[in-house]
Amino acid sequence: MKWTEKLGNQLFDPGRDQSPGEVVFFKLFELFVVFYTIKFAWEWGIYTDLRNIEVVLPLGLAKYIDVSIFFENQLAIINAAFITLLSIMSYLRFGFRWQYMVVMVLFHVQYVARFSQGEIPHSQNLIGMAVLCFAIGAIFFPDKKKMPRFVMGSIVFFIGLGYTSAFFAKLIGTGLSWNDGRHLWLWIGEKSIDILSREGEYAPNFLQLMALKSTFVASVILLIGWLTELIGFTLWFKKIRPFTTLLLIGMHMGITMTMNIRFDAFVMQLILVGFPWYILLDRYIKSTPDLLKRIV
Amino acid sequence: MDSSFSKRSMKIIGATLLVYVLLVAPHEGEFWPLSIYPMFSQAGNPWTRAMVLDVTSKPDADLWEPQLLQNRSSDVVAVGEYGVDQIDFSNFVVKTRDWTHSRRQALKEMFGPSSISGDRWMVSKVRGELIGRDSVSIEITPFILLTADSTFINPNLPDTEYGGLN
Repeated sequence: MKWTEKLGNQLFDPGRDQSPGEVVFFKLFELFVVFYTIKFAWEWGIYTDLRNIEVVLPLGLAKYIDVSIFFENQLAIINAAFITLLSIMSYLRFGFRWQYMVVMVLFHVQYVARFSQGEIPHSQNLIGMAVLCFAIGAIFFPDKKKMPRFVMGSIVFFIGLGYTSAFFAKLIGTGLSWNDGRHLWLWIGEKSIDILSREGEYAPNFLQLMALKSTFVASVILLIGWLTELIGFTLWFKKIRPFTTLLLIGMHMGITMTMNIRFDAFVMQLILVGFPWYILLDRYIKSTPDLLKRIV
Repeated sequence: MDSSFSKRSMKIIGATLLVYVLLVAPHEGEFWPLSIYPMFSQAGNPWTRAMVLDVTSKPDADLWEPQLLQNRSSDVVAVGEYGVDQIDFSNFVVKTRDWTHSRRQALKEMFGPSSISGDRWMVSKVRGELIGRDSVSIEITPFILLTADSTFINPNLPDTEYGGLN
C-alpha cells in the first residue's frame, strides 16, 4: 500500500460506515461554519463600509482588483447579504453544487476589502479553510455519504499542514535561534503597546511577568510552542489526533496569555474536528432524523 | 465507501495543494484563507506601532520631545473607545509614506467629527528594539498633532518622514 493510500485511510476512514451520530455531528459542524461565515461577513462588511478610506495593503485578489469600490455604495454590506443568503441555501442543499465555491470567492473578497488597511489576521483562517473544503466536497463528492467524510478529512489535513508549515516558516525566517527568549520580550512589548493604545491602560499577567524576568523561562515558552507546531501534522493520524489537538489548544492558550492574541473560532473549530464526537453522539442517537437525511 | 473513495480524495487534496502552493508562493505566503502562517517567523527585529497621547496640558516647548515609554508624561487616548481598530490605526500611521493633507485629515476623521473638541491629541510612533543582551527599549516619537480644526507635523523630524511633500 502506498503512503498516500495509508494517509487517505487515516483521513477519510473509508472502511467505517456512516452512522447517525456522524450525520448529526456533520450538520452541527456545518452550522458552526455557516454561523461564523455570516458573522465575519457582516463584521467585516460593516467595518469596511464605515471605516475603510483607502487601500494600504492589497492582499489576495486585491492585488488585481481595486477593492476600494467596496468602501462606498454599501457594496460590502451587499456582499455580506449575498454571502448570508448563499450560505444558508448551501446549508439546506438548496441550489447548485458550485454554490459554496461562490460563497468562498465572495468571502475572500470581503476579507481582502476589510483587511486592506495593513493588518493580516489569521484567527479567521480555519473558518475560511472549512468553507473551501465544503466547496470542494460539494463539487466532487455530492454523495450524501462521501461529502461529510471528505470535508472533515480535508479540513484535518489542511489544519495539520498549516501548523507544521508555521514551524518551518519560523525555521527559515529566523533559524534555530527563533526560540531565544528575548524575542518573546520584544513581542510582549509590541502587544502591550497595542493594548495600551486600544484601552488606555495595560498590566502584564503573571506568565508575561515570568517571561520578562527570565530569558530561560521565555525561551522554554517559545520552544514548547514551536515544537507543538512541528507536530501539527500528526493530526492526520486518527489515533493520535485527540492528543495533538489537546497540545494545540494548550499552545493557543499560551499564545493568548503571553501575546494577548485570541483565537476563539480557531480553538472552537479545533475542538470540533480534533475529537471523534460521532462516537459520543451514536450512544444517544440510534437513527438519522428525516430532516437531516434530506440536507446532508 | 471503499478504498477508491479515499484514493480519489487524496488526488483531489493533492490538486488542491498544488493550487495552494501556486497561490501563496507569489503572494508572500498569504492568499486568504490559504497561508503558510508566516507571522512571527522573523524574530528579533525592531517594530514600530502607533498610539495617541492627550497633550492638551503639555507645555508647547515639550510637545515634540521624544520620550521612553517608562517616562511617559501624558495619558494615552484609548482608540477603542472611538470605535477605531488599533491594528488598522497603527498600520495606517506606520505604513503611510506620503502624508498628504487628505491623509492627515483622514487620520483625524477616524475618531469621529467632534471627538477631539478642545483637546490636543498627539499621534505618536512607538518603536521597540532589543538593546544589548538583556533589555528592550521602547521609545515614543511625536508624529502628528491633531486639534479640532488642524493637523501639525513634527518640526524636528526630516521631511522625508512625511514623504517629502511638506
